[in-house]
Amino acid sequence: MAEVTFAERLVAAEGVRVRYLEAGVGDPLVVLHGAGGLRLGPAHHLLAARRRVIAIEIPGFGASVADHGAASLRELALTVATAIERLDLGRFDLMGHSFGGKLALWLAVERPESLRALVLVAPAAIRPEGRPPLPEDPAELHRLLHAHPERQPAAPPPDPEVAARQRELVARLIGPPREPELESRLAALTLPVLVLFGTEDRVVPPEMGRLYPALVPGSHLVFVFDAGHLPDAERPEAFAALVDDFLERHRGFLVRRRSGLIHP
Amino acid sequence: MKVALFSPVPYLGDAPAIWPVPAEAYSAEVAMASTQLALEQFQLADELGFDWVTVAEHHYAPLSLTPNPAVLAGALTQRVRRARIALLGPTLPILNPVRVAEEVAMLDTLSGGRVIAGLLRGTSNEYVTYDVNPAESRERFEEALQLILRAWTEPQPFGWLGRYYEYRSVSIWPRPVQRPHPPVYISASSPEGGEFAARHRLGVGFAFTTVPLAAEAVRHYRERAAEAGWEPAEDQVLYRVAAHLAESDEQALQDLEARGSRPSYSRSNRAIDDASAGAGYYGRDAARQRARLQRHGLRERIGLGQLLAGSPDTVLAQARAIHEALRPGVLEVVFEAVGREKTLRAVELFGTRVLPCLREL
Repeated sequence: MAEVTFAERLVAAEGVRVRYLEAGVGDPLVVLHGAGGLRLGPAHHLLAARRRVIAIEIPGFGASVADHGAASLRELALTVATAIERLDLGRFDLMGHSFGGKLALWLAVERPESLRALVLVAPAAIRPEGRPPLPEDPAELHRLLHAHPERQPAAPPPDPEVAARQRELVARLIGPPREPELESRLAALTLPVLVLFGTEDRVVPPEMGRLYPALVPGSHLVFVFDAGHLPDAERPEAFAALVDDFLERHRGFLVRRRSGLIHP
Repeated sequence: MKVALFSPVPYLGDAPAIWPVPAEAYSAEVAMASTQLALEQFQLADELGFDWVTVAEHHYAPLSLTPNPAVLAGALTQRVRRARIALLGPTLPILNPVRVAEEVAMLDTLSGGRVIAGLLRGTSNEYVTYDVNPAESRERFEEALQLILRAWTEPQPFGWLGRYYEYRSVSIWPRPVQRPHPPVYISASSPEGGEFAARHRLGVGFAFTTVPLAAEAVRHYRERAAEAGWEPAEDQVLYRVAAHLAESDEQALQDLEARGSRPSYSRSNRAIDDASAGAGYYGRDAARQRARLQRHGLRERIGLGQLLAGSPDTVLAQARAIHEALRPGVLEVVFEAVGREKTLRAVELFGTRVLPCLREL
């Protein structure tokens, strides 16, 4: 793996200071994390070897910044959009995971002109009815999130106060399993959208994936075999290669470039 | 109990007992006659009331003239009017899984929803055929099977980012007639197979084994299915047995003795089987998996439940014993190649005198 170091920075937006981690040079890729908070893994390092990766800590998450009291996910998306504007990136690629996937969709429908392409990883925008909230016990959560929990390093023990605040924020903003107001606006999106689901996802079942191509005209669904809710963590090389290729070629990425020649 | 008739479509001429078998001795006339006999058998089985007819995939040897079972199954959709048509089956790890999904869906469409999809790993030597490392056999198999289930059921085009397979867009036409998809069977002779079938709620089939070994494997499968919160239906356990019937026990045994025996696919080339075993093809009970492929004498084969042989009454008693020990929902019978007339007579005796009683079980 290329040596990539993420630097911690802050940007001010609407009276809150937004923390973000940045590495790499090239086309900017903004990353929005899931309900568990800011998380960087080997896939993000691989992506940063070929582009400028900016992983934002969504306001209200983490230890440093207090919840600024967004009333809705749409409102939160606008705050995040303002923070990104302050970074002066020009048009950028956006990747959102789970909770951050739904946030990314809100950002996309509100600021479509600022985006080049969108990657949704196990997005939580469409969920089955009647699911219990995620378990609070870290070990239990670790098992639920992964297809192969034994192969994954356990996350550092969370600060219980931060974890509780994040849970409260997610519960307040995640919205219903289906949100007609958001869904009705998806048909107007014209940017290329890649939707990824792990085949063993037990948080947002991969069967939810089939609803995106039906709702988002330019979207393409890919199943990441043998991965759970965090396909970037469980299949980092494959994940990064696919996302890289998609961000480079958009819908043209359906056409293979890998050579089949074995004995030149 | 349901009853299937399986034919590997054996080449009925002489050929050396090695693998791969050189084509020097090959006769197109013999191959055509062998194929016609198999088609006649399948058609006769359909007329006699067999529930399924079954085809399989094997390569580079006269033991079977069906390297692509889908081709033969396509022909059968036009000759077999009532029975289900089972592929047991495509050898997934050496094939393109999307192609397999398409072929099965085509066959289901051609046959009006009568296809059974056995999806298998094949014997160790098959890996040489299409140049695939047998060490990757199980992982390829498990991934390919899950990809095929998605290809049959996903309503939108999808990409597949696998470990062994990657497709940027899959959206097969035609789709299977049976919803959500044709019944799927896998081999569960190994414990790994039974565990995978239990996890994915698939049926299991047993061939080239013995009743005691299969009984143990069925127990393992049922236990794991219970742990996974479901109970396999009777139909989801299939057991394959060879058979020959004649008017009398003596005649049947005499026919079989006159025919002699041929070594199995994987025993025909020990170097290949040893190399495959060394690569880890056989999984965690390798010694037992290899031992079950051992050839036995006629009497022993009958005792182990590998062979039904004798008069219709004798064969019925033997089949009842298998049912008692194993409770398979499907008994799959492969009639021994003892010459055209004798083989067809055996099918007829089985169909008229044994089959009606077995269906009551």
